[in-house]
Amino acid sequence: MIQFDQVTKRYPGSDEALKNISLNINAGEMAFVIGHSGAGKSTLLKLIAAIERPTSGTVLIANQNISKLKTSAIPFMRRRFGLIFQDHKLLYDRNCFENVILPLRINGVAGNEAGKRVRAALDKVGLLHKEKVMPITLSGGEQQRLAIARAVVSRPSILIADEPTGNLDASYAADIMAIFYAFHQVGVTVIVATHDALGMSASQNRVIHLNQGILTTEGHISKGIPNS
Amino acid sequence: MSWFNHHTQAMKLVLARMQGNKTSSLLICLVVAVAMCLPGLFYLGVDNLSTLTNHMQDETEISLFLKLDTSNNTITEIDELLAKNSAIKHYRLVSKEDAWKDLQAKSGADSAVKQLNKNPLPDAFFIQAKSVNPAELEALKTELQNIPNVEHALLNSDWAKRLSTLLQLGKEIIFFIAILLAIALLVIIGNTVRMQILTQKDEIEVSKLMGATSSFIRIPFLYAGIFYGLLGGLLAIFMMAMVIGFFNYSTSQISTLYNSDFRLSLFNGHLLLGIISLATFIGWLGAYLAVTRSIASIKIN
Repeated sequence: MIQFDQVTKRYPGSDEALKNISLNINAGEMAFVIGHSGAGKSTLLKLIAAIERPTSGTVLIANQNISKLKTSAIPFMRRRFGLIFQDHKLLYDRNCFENVILPLRINGVAGNEAGKRVRAALDKVGLLHKEKVMPITLSGGEQQRLAIARAVVSRPSILIADEPTGNLDASYAADIMAIFYAFHQVGVTVIVATHDALGMSASQNRVIHLNQGILTTEGHISKGIPNS
Repeated sequence: MSWFNHHTQAMKLVLARMQGNKTSSLLICLVVAVAMCLPGLFYLGVDNLSTLTNHMQDETEISLFLKLDTSNNTITEIDELLAKNSAIKHYRLVSKEDAWKDLQAKSGADSAVKQLNKNPLPDAFFIQAKSVNPAELEALKTELQNIPNVEHALLNSDWAKRLSTLLQLGKEIIFFIAILLAIALLVIIGNTVRMQILTQKDEIEVSKLMGATSSFIRIPFLYAGIFYGLLGGLLAIFMMAMVIGFFNYSTSQISTLYNSDFRLSLFNGHLLLGIISLATFIGWLGAYLAVTRSIASIKIN
């Protein structure tokens, strides 16, 4: 599903954010990208989501080369992803329902069908009773759940979350992780970047460990928190 | 269907935003209206005047004064000549006796005319040409001038011709003023839309992240430009109607004195349609230029 082959990313005027990364994430896998801040986690996710292009090497998403994609084709590539950010990126000038319906509008889904899917997504994250509420009145954990609802409403095959629990206390973070597991269970590829290893203990999970732009360890963990 | 939905949604969104920002939306529409209204009014004035002069040119005559000693035979010959001329619509002869009687009847009892004991007037033909084209009239005049025994051929449309040339020049000047104002409008609307884009930056960024195409992001802003233009154009017509109503009211007395029914008329379909469509087009273009430049500059991170 996602293939990196000797990928290097350098931002103008800075050192290499990623150095010579090769990895492969299969469809339906749940992968954690871990490492300290500045290790290149966000850059890795941005390369996957076609927000950035690699300086060298190839990134293949569903057998399409991101670097060779035309600018006009990138929006359609991005529709395969549901993106979740640490700062939620919610729109605070509209209510929860309107926030979640935005991807459907972009995908051209409208009318009753759109309404049903928005409510289904809100229901999955436990916010169905808050559809008319403005997001600013929600707690941090609820805002992140709303962002997840927005990310999954268009039924993407890949869910990418960058530090989704970064600002949350432990119990909220566990809620969020439980939701990601639920999507993984139904076959969605889930990629989560995190600097703490919270919630990774549950099952057989893929771990991609980055340290200063270099892939240090890669493999599966079965139990416990890896040493990082 | 989804295309249609997207457009109606964009329109609703824009109208809601404009309602939320009534004052600034109204100001923009007002700017558009004033900029459209000025050349529109000038054009209307010039256009009305030139229909008036066209009307006068319809009435232009060529006066053909014969030499004083022309005999009746010669007059008959000239009469036949005129009858054969295909460029002439109709003509009439006023003999020097008739003209003399007419003049005496019109002038007062002790005017200078009464002091004359001899008729000073020549025989004259008054000719209406078929054409109103100044060049053709001029040619006809020269032709008639060359008939033997003709003392003088006078084309009395010369001043109307000059006026119509001036009005033509006026129209050209209005055209350039309109272009300048259109450019100013383009900049103003473009700037307004650019400001709106800045306030919607978050939404644009999020939409881009979710795979919105450029046209999806662009469409609401294009509608904003179109609405500004359209409402401004309608407002311009309303303002023109007010100005013209006021003008007609104050000139009606003068017109009556001159025994004329001259009134400025607003109902020039081409002009109204032109103002509305031009304003709408400028709104769209200004928004398009602004949005195309701005969208590219909004980076996602």
